[in-house]
Amino acid sequence: MRLPRFDYLGPDTLDAALELLATHKEEAKILAGGTDLVVRMKKGLLKPKVLISLKALNELSYIKEDGKEIKIGARTPLADIIASDLIQTQANALAQACEKVGAITLQHYRGTIGGNILQDNRCFHYNQSSFHRSGRQPCHKDGGKICYARDEADRCNSTCQSDGATALMALGAKLTLASKGSARTVNLEDFYTSDGIMPFAMESHELLKEITIPLTGAKSAYHRLAYRSAIDYPVVCAGVLLKPSDTKKEEIDDVRIVVGAMSRSPLFLAQASSSLKGKKLSDIDAFKTAADTAMNSASAFAVHNVGATLAYRCEMVAQMVFRALKEAAQAADR
Amino acid sequence: MSDYTIIGKRMPRVDSRAKVMGKARFTADLKLPGMLVGKIKRSPYAHARILNIDTSKAEALPGVKAVVTGKDTEGVKWGVFSYTRDQQFIQMEKARYIGDEVAGVAAVDEETALEALDLIEVEYEELPAVFESMEAMASQTEPIHEDFPNNINVHVNIETGEVDENFKRAHYVREDTFTAPEDSYFMAEPYAVVAKFDYDGCLEVWCPNGGPHMKSKPLSNAFKIPLHQVKIRKIAIGGAFGGRSEICPADYICALLAKKSDKPVKIEFTREENSIATRQGHAMITTHKTGVDKEGRVLARETTCYLDGGAYVSTGPIAVSVPFLSMEQVYRMESVRYNGYSLYTNKPIRGMIRTHGRCFAAGLDTQLDMIAEHLGIDPVEMRLRNVRKPGEYTNTKSLVGSCAMDETIHKAVVTSGFKDKWGKLPPFHGIGMGTNAVQVGFPMGIRGGSQSFIKFNEDGEATVMSGVVDNGQGNDNMLVQIAAEELGLLPEDIHLVSADTETTSSDPGSYSQVSTFVGGQAVQIAAKNCKQKLFEVAAKVLKVKADTLVAKNRLIFVKDTPEKSISIKKVVRISLTNFNSVNAEGGYWPKVDMKREWVSNPYGQMCEAFSFGTTIVEVKVDPETGQVEVLNATACQDVGKALNPLVLEGQFEGSIAMGGQGGMLTEYHEWKDGRCLNPTMLDYKVPLACDMPTIKNIIVESIEPLGPYGAKEAGMSIAMSAAQGYAAAVSNAIGVYMDSFPLTPDKILAAIKEKKSRPQNKES
Repeated sequence: MRLPRFDYLGPDTLDAALELLATHKEEAKILAGGTDLVVRMKKGLLKPKVLISLKALNELSYIKEDGKEIKIGARTPLADIIASDLIQTQANALAQACEKVGAITLQHYRGTIGGNILQDNRCFHYNQSSFHRSGRQPCHKDGGKICYARDEADRCNSTCQSDGATALMALGAKLTLASKGSARTVNLEDFYTSDGIMPFAMESHELLKEITIPLTGAKSAYHRLAYRSAIDYPVVCAGVLLKPSDTKKEEIDDVRIVVGAMSRSPLFLAQASSSLKGKKLSDIDAFKTAADTAMNSASAFAVHNVGATLAYRCEMVAQMVFRALKEAAQAADR
Repeated sequence: MSDYTIIGKRMPRVDSRAKVMGKARFTADLKLPGMLVGKIKRSPYAHARILNIDTSKAEALPGVKAVVTGKDTEGVKWGVFSYTRDQQFIQMEKARYIGDEVAGVAAVDEETALEALDLIEVEYEELPAVFESMEAMASQTEPIHEDFPNNINVHVNIETGEVDENFKRAHYVREDTFTAPEDSYFMAEPYAVVAKFDYDGCLEVWCPNGGPHMKSKPLSNAFKIPLHQVKIRKIAIGGAFGGRSEICPADYICALLAKKSDKPVKIEFTREENSIATRQGHAMITTHKTGVDKEGRVLARETTCYLDGGAYVSTGPIAVSVPFLSMEQVYRMESVRYNGYSLYTNKPIRGMIRTHGRCFAAGLDTQLDMIAEHLGIDPVEMRLRNVRKPGEYTNTKSLVGSCAMDETIHKAVVTSGFKDKWGKLPPFHGIGMGTNAVQVGFPMGIRGGSQSFIKFNEDGEATVMSGVVDNGQGNDNMLVQIAAEELGLLPEDIHLVSADTETTSSDPGSYSQVSTFVGGQAVQIAAKNCKQKLFEVAAKVLKVKADTLVAKNRLIFVKDTPEKSISIKKVVRISLTNFNSVNAEGGYWPKVDMKREWVSNPYGQMCEAFSFGTTIVEVKVDPETGQVEVLNATACQDVGKALNPLVLEGQFEGSIAMGGQGGMLTEYHEWKDGRCLNPTMLDYKVPLACDMPTIKNIIVESIEPLGPYGAKEAGMSIAMSAAQGYAAAVSNAIGVYMDSFPLTPDKILAAIKEKKSRPQNKES
């Protein structure tokens, strides 16, 4: 399949990139690796007039910390994150998630963390060739009024399958979005629109510049299921952050449970998370209960649109959450 | 025991270097002067009447050089058999699946061609569609093809022995139904074709094929030109697996566009087109009813199989038969009744695929294990009591010559440690076995034999001509090895001209496991004949009798006094200066029953040899996720004689990947109203190298007396026993006999849960 025609722009600085974005707005797309964008363009799912490549913007490739936060430049290759001691010790869920993206070659040479967070939602009724999508009414995401994944749905139910975003939401990450002359910071949790057509609450002139992860001393873990061990999106995944109490070491102070690949965005599951407050790190039964609660909460959102069966994916929410909790608790206990 | 210099040696393939360096040229790499880009307009409806096609806008688009529709075809229809011609190359009245060809365009570039496709206006009237076998048979709506009520397309009935009587006297009878959805080949190379008409009306075509002669004849029929005017050329091919056997409408459309535009045209399929518009493996529902005596020997079996045949019959009669044939070849049955049905549905066209019906084969072995458990016999003994022995006849009356079935079981059992593991592994850890057989060829009438020509060049090297095609399995190397061995040359001295219908003779093609047996044997005979000519000349020079001579390492020498020798090059030159050319021909036609026919007379000698194999697989299942980790696979096959163990082991491993790891664990198509939801490599889960288990390969050589050097089919059919072995291992691990394939984690988990919830087992 061929790429539609476009103009390729390769700014040398962040300011130049923002200037270009301000000029081209919705006619432009950011190219930060291309593993998601190029595939969608080949399928004719989007036809940007302009691609603004971040290839030359080494200023957006870094991992650092200031005692309070880890800061990751949006164009940092996944391989750097996987290899980072800082991430492995302070935000292990993210390292685990990035390791699962694509394959090693993609992590080294193409995939970036910003691109991973901003990969578009997927649905096997939508991510198809224009031939496949012809001969039937277009779906919501394709400009129509139908959802092939859920009857009578009034909006798009495409699924966010980003490994990185799920882990980052568990880690309580924030995004810094830059635009010409300004910047804003938003909690990753508040970054989603709850509509699969345009899942991200960002403007066309904005650029994801930085991801920040608070340093809390909490332990995290990420688990996912897929058919293959590489070149595969998760059909269900879970990221958790587990903070032991400062005073009573055996006790859990705070937990964040996030489930991915089940809805339009990663789901922070408040009820399941809060059920573990004050529980012992070794309380396996409490983990099981929380995992079941997570499954019940997440199941309502999911539709059959990314492979496996819906019932299986729902059931596996509990498994993934439980495994991630157990792993994080073990790490905290060490 | 082996006197061979080159045969039986681990030799890197003659084509490997070019392939790994990216230098081999495949059809998509071809560029001819003035070549246009061809594209095919396909139906987006599963079942629709074509009311009108307006191509005027497309034709008016600058850069468009030709547009073709059914009107340009004179309505010619294709079918493998004279009685199965049901497919127009471009549909005129009806589209019968999403992807059916309705028009073609050729333009100066891809962008223009794609734009032209969008400008072709097709007016359809949508018709009710059917997507499953049972639904198709029950359908009250317009049949997909008007001559086939209830959409029943092919029915193969085979019956031998006293089936009903034997069921009555059986000690134990059970009936089980097994199912599997469609699977795909996922050849590394998406389909592509280049066609060109010459000034004198000759058609030249390059495309992946399972046999060039199987392409040239239908094209000559379709274009009503003599056979010699259709020249299918050799080109590197990236996999076939049964999916490249027949002519493809794209071949015809490409040639038609070339004719109309008077320019070479290339059509390259997208991955999606390769998945939906070439061939797929059949979805199947198979019921095996088996009656055994007290010792577990099969007295009677009744098998009924419904194959979802898709929109056109394709190889239907063969596809319906081969699952049964594989069964009757591997297992003895005192009596058997088979009813196989292929149903038309509004889904892509189906073809032959390596495992030949995964639910059929895996179901059969699963049921054997169930019966064995009931009788208290272990799986190894159960098979040893039922598998084929040499010198026997199959139910449909084929004599089985060489057969080391037992030996493959014994060796695989020992190597895998089956006896120490079976029944003794920890929970959710299992081991299972499968056994398979496959026919080496089948009656193909006028195209059943192969013929080869060999000529010596004055530099002492030889050119070998053969119709055998290499789909990627190593046939070119096989021919070179045989010729080099017989002629006493080195592999690099052999120059192969093959798979070209202008320069090579007819050949059965590479889709019925006969390339080595028939095509290779033809080369062997030609080379022997050629060597004889050399020996006669050399005998005069060396003043010995010709029958005392041998040829090796570019030399001809006296067997008992090797110092008495002359170089082959010198012999050739002497011969030429004495007004004698050094060339020869040789051919091989297997002695099969030419009256045997798939539907009307499925009895008689099928082929001259059969191959037999066993695969044992060990797995661990995660009881909480249903995911399977395959610890190791042991593949053992009676291949007659391994001409090149290195290549053969690669075939074994490919078989494990395709039949087992992919075919039994992850691969299946998902659909929505006849639309294939996973046509791409990302969404269809072909296993990756990193997901493959450790594989142990064991080669058993029974030395088939009729085969070249004792060889017969090798490597391909391990896919079948791999499917069975994987299924058996998973069933063994979870303690539930699985009947729906592939064994995806959701099914495994559901089975584990269902078993847990069952009241304590009464039976065992």
